[in-house]
Amino acid sequence: MKLKVWGARGSIPAPGPEMNRYGGNTSCVELELSDGSTLIIDAGTGIRSLGVGIARHLPKVNILLTHLHLDHIQGLMFFAPCFRSESEITIWGPSSPEASLEERIARYISAPLSPVEVRELPCDVNFRDTPPSEWEIGPATIRAEAVTHRGPTLGYRITDGDATLTYISDHEPGLGAPLESLEPEWISGYDLAQNSDLLIHDCQYSDEEYPDHVGWGHSRLTDTLTFARRVNARRLLLFHHDPLHSDEFLDRFGESAQEGWSDLGGPDGAVEMAAETQEIEIAPAKVAAART
Amino acid sequence: MEQKPLELILARNFLTSLSTPAFLVDESGALIFYNEAAGALLGISFEESGRMPAAEWGRAVGPVGDDGEPMPIEEIPTTKALRRGRPAHGRFTVRSVRGDKYDIEASALPIVAEGGQEGAMIFFWPQSEGARNGG
Repeated sequence: MKLKVWGARGSIPAPGPEMNRYGGNTSCVELELSDGSTLIIDAGTGIRSLGVGIARHLPKVNILLTHLHLDHIQGLMFFAPCFRSESEITIWGPSSPEASLEERIARYISAPLSPVEVRELPCDVNFRDTPPSEWEIGPATIRAEAVTHRGPTLGYRITDGDATLTYISDHEPGLGAPLESLEPEWISGYDLAQNSDLLIHDCQYSDEEYPDHVGWGHSRLTDTLTFARRVNARRLLLFHHDPLHSDEFLDRFGESAQEGWSDLGGPDGAVEMAAETQEIEIAPAKVAAART
Repeated sequence: MEQKPLELILARNFLTSLSTPAFLVDESGALIFYNEAAGALLGISFEESGRMPAAEWGRAVGPVGDDGEPMPIEEIPTTKALRRGRPAHGRFTVRSVRGDKYDIEASALPIVAEGGQEGAMIFFWPQSEGARNGG
């Protein structure tokens, strides 16, 4: 599988020259599967640029939404394939007893927040309310599980052949939980992320910032690293950067992450900071070992 | 061991943070967690006692009614919460491993997730000062 990051920022878009290297677009990643088909995970503002590139080439698109906070759906209304009648778009997202996925998304794509209504979109769009479950899309097996965040929120595990990506963009597994010692079955997201070749995980706060944000649904550095080590992720991409964190801050943050990872016994080079336009080939463990 | 449902994970994290004695049971009534305050009351921590099926923790800690006899299972708030899916409240006596008896009030709240009932939280309010101090 090949991954491209189109948006790694959390909460709100954060443009500006001091944000250029890591980017200011909110959460969106593109996953190219082994058969050449494409999955998109989250529709933050990063999906706008993604859509410009694929509008004429991909009539069928699957978009997996982790949850419906604005930073994860804001780009939907600017996703070019939505405005092409040839496009078939399936949007998967967390189910809720309150209203259907379409109804909840329509709260944004409707007046007065939007000049267009969901029903007016030229594309053929359908919405799939997704409880914790497992299903197939092309060559990939998708598994969705509820994770600790504010409101119904899913993490996704995507397996294609022997390669596995787990994406948990918004997650606070350490909320009220001693991650380093808690039994695995009591750790939110543990089963979903276990033994992933690549884990993309929320890491919005430094340890120093976290006390002012406990319960906000996002993870501090130590908890993200501990979670990744506990689930034995081979590679970790730190995601959902805080909108206040400049490129310089994130450079230092990445250095702290490397140190913390090493302190936990993690292998060198396995932790990276997500950045817009970054491309990663997700290789299963046996292939990666053969290459070294 | 199978991953616990998110609702039970969050419930355990919540109960961990409370000073009110509290139990967490799964849909079968098995005791899957209790907090430090409950451990102080019972005289044994959850880390020491571990998970207990419903019948086992009933024998270990009670509850017993005013006559000193084990309460009928149908009268226990936990049972009502699990079987009826509704909150339940009751007053009874529990025992610690030291043999102490405490009069308590208990409220059981079912935990119902999208997929159905996952378990229940039970909060205890000791009726005596000694019990409140876990001694």
